[in-house]
Amino acid sequence: MLRVFLTAAVAGVIAATTWVIWDRVRGPTATPIAGFSAPFVFGRFAVPPDNPLTEEAFALGRHLFYDPILSGNNQVSCATCHVQALAFTDGLAKSPALPGGELEFSSMSLTNLLWGQERFFWDGRATSLEAQALMPIQHPDEMDQDLGELVTELQASRDYRRMFRKAYGEISAENVTRALSTFMRMLISSDSKYDRFLRGKARLSEQEEHGRKLFMAHPDTKVSLRGGNCIDCHSQFLTSGFRDALDGFSNNGLDSDGDLPDGLMAVTGNPAHKGFFKVPTLRNIAVTAPYMHDGRFETLEEVMDHYNDGIVVSDTLSPLILEADNAPEAGQGTVGLRMTPDEVQSIIAFLHTLTDEDFLTNTQFSNPFEGDS
Amino acid sequence: MRIWMTGLAILLVIGGALFFAPSPQRTTSITLTFHAKMGDDPLVFDEFLYENPGGPGTFRVRDFRLYLSNLTLSQGEALFAEPDSYHLLRFDNPETTHSIRLNDIPLRNIDHVRFLIGVDPDANGSIQARGDLDPNSQMAWNWEVGYKFVVMEGTLRIGEEVSPLVYHVGFSENAREVDIQLPPDIGSDGNVDLHVNVDVAKLFDGPSQIDLQKLSSVKFNREDAAMLADNYEAMITPSFK
Ligand code: HEC
Ligand code: HEC
Repeated sequence: MLRVFLTAAVAGVIAATTWVIWDRVRGPTATPIAGFSAPFVFGRFAVPPDNPLTEEAFALGRHLFYDPILSGNNQVSCATCHVQALAFTDGLAKSPALPGGELEFSSMSLTNLLWGQERFFWDGRATSLEAQALMPIQHPDEMDQDLGELVTELQASRDYRRMFRKAYGEISAENVTRALSTFMRMLISSDSKYDRFLRGKARLSEQEEHGRKLFMAHPDTKVSLRGGNCIDCHSQFLTSGFRDALDGFSNNGLDSDGDLPDGLMAVTGNPAHKGFFKVPTLRNIAVTAPYMHDGRFETLEEVMDHYNDGIVVSDTLSPLILEADNAPEAGQGTVGLRMTPDEVQSIIAFLHTLTDEDFLTNTQFSNPFEGDS
Repeated sequence: MRIWMTGLAILLVIGGALFFAPSPQRTTSITLTFHAKMGDDPLVFDEFLYENPGGPGTFRVRDFRLYLSNLTLSQGEALFAEPDSYHLLRFDNPETTHSIRLNDIPLRNIDHVRFLIGVDPDANGSIQARGDLDPNSQMAWNWEVGYKFVVMEGTLRIGEEVSPLVYHVGFSENAREVDIQLPPDIGSDGNVDLHVNVDVAKLFDGPSQIDLQKLSSVKFNREDAAMLADNYEAMITPSFK
């Protein structure tokens, strides 16, 4: 019997030693991001099991995000078109293209990407952040970088060799996307006035509260309920599109059937999705002008004019928009919410409560190559 | 070495026997498959195929979904209530069906399936994400009002004129219980395969006949909502083969 125990003990010691050696060789294990929490009203979220949130991946992702080494000409970084002070948009109607001219689309805010719709880009063509991250890098009009070349360039840097080893073990294009995704997943905005209101830590002004109520209500003239119906598409806490299936895409009445871009239909092939675009988050919306996928509106006033009486009818227009009307009598030639100027201003006031100064200036999200990182 | 191997073999045999031994308590698994229908036929989305039941015109359905909650299964007095039982039934798939599977229910057989169309008052007044309940989803009105229980959206066409149809029925008083009695022979080998029809037409054609032109939307008007709820109460019926 003693022999059995001895053998077992020896086997145990050997296993432990092997594990220790192997652990050294593969490099230090990354540390999970500690104390990670988000408001529970944001709801469920999922991090891919093969890319857990770690401090090392975040630090690496942050460097990559701000480093023009990711582009073919070493001049364009993600941050060129995603500027923190503008909630990671670029302030332009359409982002500039590398060879000159402009891209087809307006840059998108990178906020609270862990929640809401799990497809990315205006037309939803990327099904994960990891899949998304390679697209701008390789796109000839955006960063125009060959992935093999990128890996070679990163390998030449001692700092990156060290950071990749700590986070993932090795440098690869896949790990570039993982790190960028981790950085972007942590871009969490949850300290706006609206958030503090939800936590019972702040009061909204009378006008803001009026705007909040209108935002959260689909109008019903039959019971004299006035509303802006925003919540039909922009969820109540996240203010972004819905997570379930393709619920986070919609046609909000920008173009007529003749000019309607494909939008989501380009991805699903379903004609019922023509002109559908991703419902964007409205967090920090006051700093992300111009608005819509093509940046056609300069101000929130213009956005509200659109929803109030500028809706363009098309076959796939959301019936919720077509039906939402605050005036009891039928409209003459215009389609929209037909709210009073006061009500419109109240909604705009509410939209301003979604600005999160802390997020826009948080040094954890800023350029690590500048100042103290 | 010899002792070692024998010991290991004995352990394996005992462990294996324990692992594979049939447990004394027999359990049942059930698959509930909901088939979205318009009358007798499978529901077709996005095509003007359907007659306005109470007036002129044809309509198409863009979206149809509902909450089912508090699913309980019973055999005689023995009862099993699914925990966190909140299911969003949606039918935007090629088969226009939705399935719920429950494994290893501690009942020898099942003779009744009961559930609510809608959400119980407790969960309806909460912003906790439970089951398929999600306050940041399309089914949430807002936290002061609760959830939409049954949603149907579409378009009515009369001649060349099209107009939107929006039926969002909620409010706690409009949850309706459905009780399905199963025939005794439905289960075999501890497996129950139950098929149920969800007939959208019943929403407008029941105790109240609805003219979609006259009543093109139902949202916050309590009487209208209750009228549709009395109609949808009979919307879900079993189809035993
Ligand atoms: C030349 C400007 C430009 C650069 C450089 C750029 N982006 Fe973007 N980004 C955009 C535009 C424009 C869109 C919207 C594009 C579309 O929908 O087709 C976008 C969309 C996104 C989205 C989708 C957000 C959502 O909610 O769906 C993510 C994520 C993103 N970019 C991350 C990155 C990352 C990471 C990098 C660097 C690897 C990067 N971007 C580089 C302009 C740029
Ligand atoms: C039927 C769904 C729907 C409703 C209702 C709706 N929106 Fe939108 N919203 C969208 C979609 C989709 C987009 C993106 C459209 C595009 O660019 O093609 C959008 C874009 C916006 C934008 C521009 C965001 C950006 O980053 O460019 C703002 C601001 C906005 N909505 C505010 C509102 C407000 C305020 C209301 C209520 C008065 C509202 N929306 C109601 C679907 C909707």
